[in-house]
Amino acid sequence: MVKVTRGTLVKCDPAMKEFLIHLDETMAIGTKFIIEDLDEQHLFIQTDAIETLMARVDDLMDKISFPMTEKS
Amino acid sequence: MNDDKEAGKAGKSSIKTLQCSNLYEYLKTLSPAVIDRLYTYPIICLAIYRDLPVVAKHYVIRILFVEQPVPQAEANEVTQVLSDLRVWHETSIPGGLPAWELNPVFKKNFKNSLLGGGRTWGIKANLETDSKARDVDYLDKYAMERWECVLHYMVGSKQQEGISVDAVRVLLHAGLMRQDDEDGSPVITKEGFQFLLLDTAEQVWYFMLQYLDTAASRNLDLVNCLAFLFQLSFSTLGKDYCADGMTEEMLTFLQHLREFGLVYQRKRKGGKFYPTRLALNITNRDSSGLAAQRKDGFVVVESNYRIYAYTDSNLQVALIGLFAELLYRFPNMVVGTLTRDSICMALRSGITADQIVNFLRLHAHPRLVAKGPPILPPTITDQINLWEKERDRFGCSDGILYSQFLSHSDFSILRDFAQEHGLLVWQNDQKKNHGRQFWWL
Repeated sequence: MVKVTRGTLVKCDPAMKEFLIHLDETMAIGTKFIIEDLDEQHLFIQTDAIETLMARVDDLMDKISFPMTEKS
Repeated sequence: MNDDKEAGKAGKSSIKTLQCSNLYEYLKTLSPAVIDRLYTYPIICLAIYRDLPVVAKHYVIRILFVEQPVPQAEANEVTQVLSDLRVWHETSIPGGLPAWELNPVFKKNFKNSLLGGGRTWGIKANLETDSKARDVDYLDKYAMERWECVLHYMVGSKQQEGISVDAVRVLLHAGLMRQDDEDGSPVITKEGFQFLLLDTAEQVWYFMLQYLDTAASRNLDLVNCLAFLFQLSFSTLGKDYCADGMTEEMLTFLQHLREFGLVYQRKRKGGKFYPTRLALNITNRDSSGLAAQRKDGFVVVESNYRIYAYTDSNLQVALIGLFAELLYRFPNMVVGTLTRDSICMALRSGITADQIVNFLRLHAHPRLVAKGPPILPPTITDQINLWEKERDRFGCSDGILYSQFLSHSDFSILRDFAQEHGLLVWQNDQKKNHGRQFWWL
């Protein structure tokens, strides 16, 4: 039987995909949100998780960036 | 990736870039009836003619005095422009050949505007000499002061006098500001931030378009207002014009324009007014009129991410503060740094990297310009772009996944159907655990 699911297709680089999978496995946003792992660059996820994920990715980028200028 | 996916993405991402359409695009959105009424004003015909592509100008001027339809040559973009603007329409000549015929209303009034005749058009110049005449410098200063009042209001700086309810309504309507959820006071939106970074002529044009949109709700007639705006744009800077004989409606409109700094009036009931440069530039934004007005830039950007802005205007400081971290403030300059945090803050509030870079370039200090090109240090522009890209790590598109097909033929039928209609965004026809899957938006 053909299975029909509604959601959001996310296209990203493999590294970002791993991060998303990590978030999913550790239930970082409270629930699982990945519906289907499609291929190296594509994930199929629940639409309502997008906003939270965007914020999480922002946080990650904040964490791994190093301020170049000294605060005076 | 197909077009549909693109569309899906645009809808998904919350960042909408501000579209500043030109005159032609704006007129295209008007209904045919309105356009036809516009053409009853010779001045509008002239303004539209002035704005046409060169080839279209040739077409129009060559067939202006031909009293019969002319056979159609090949259709191209230019003929399409003329059709869109209803300057001409398609018809057929005996023998069944398709032909072009100028819109009779346009034709009559355009002839009038070129050759004279008909009733007088344009605003009446004031014949008596004004005892307290204003010169161009004064008008420029006045116009900028008024306009910055609006901008000040948007950034929420308190030092300036407020603006009228009408102006606030236009800002709200344009989506540049929105009512705050808590206390209902207007707060600036993402589009508003983008608006602030445009140059003045673009801001005025965008603002006036939005104003005209709401014209009907304030009992103003769109056509009359447009006609008046065009008349202003053909007037002479530094000359006073007579407001006598204008209808009540137009006087209201004049008062609004006065508030935004498009015209100067010493007294509300003075009976005369001076158009300012803001009004003159409104229809010919690309021409050199603007360049003369552009003030010298004041921003110096160094490759160590420092920004020095030589300005005493709170507005300019507030604008810089949108995307830079301000360190020191002196009477005539401020010093700030561009940091990842400050840029990310700006990006989050909806400003794009391009807009920031354009703003810096537009207001670059003459010394930077003299050293250039490139005007800005490449490291800075690149880094701002990189910071933007960093936030854009994945693209989303809403869609529906069809999986676990029973046979390959089922799969290919659906896939071909989706492909035909431009709906396919992703597919995988390898056999996997779940059979074959593919994407349909």
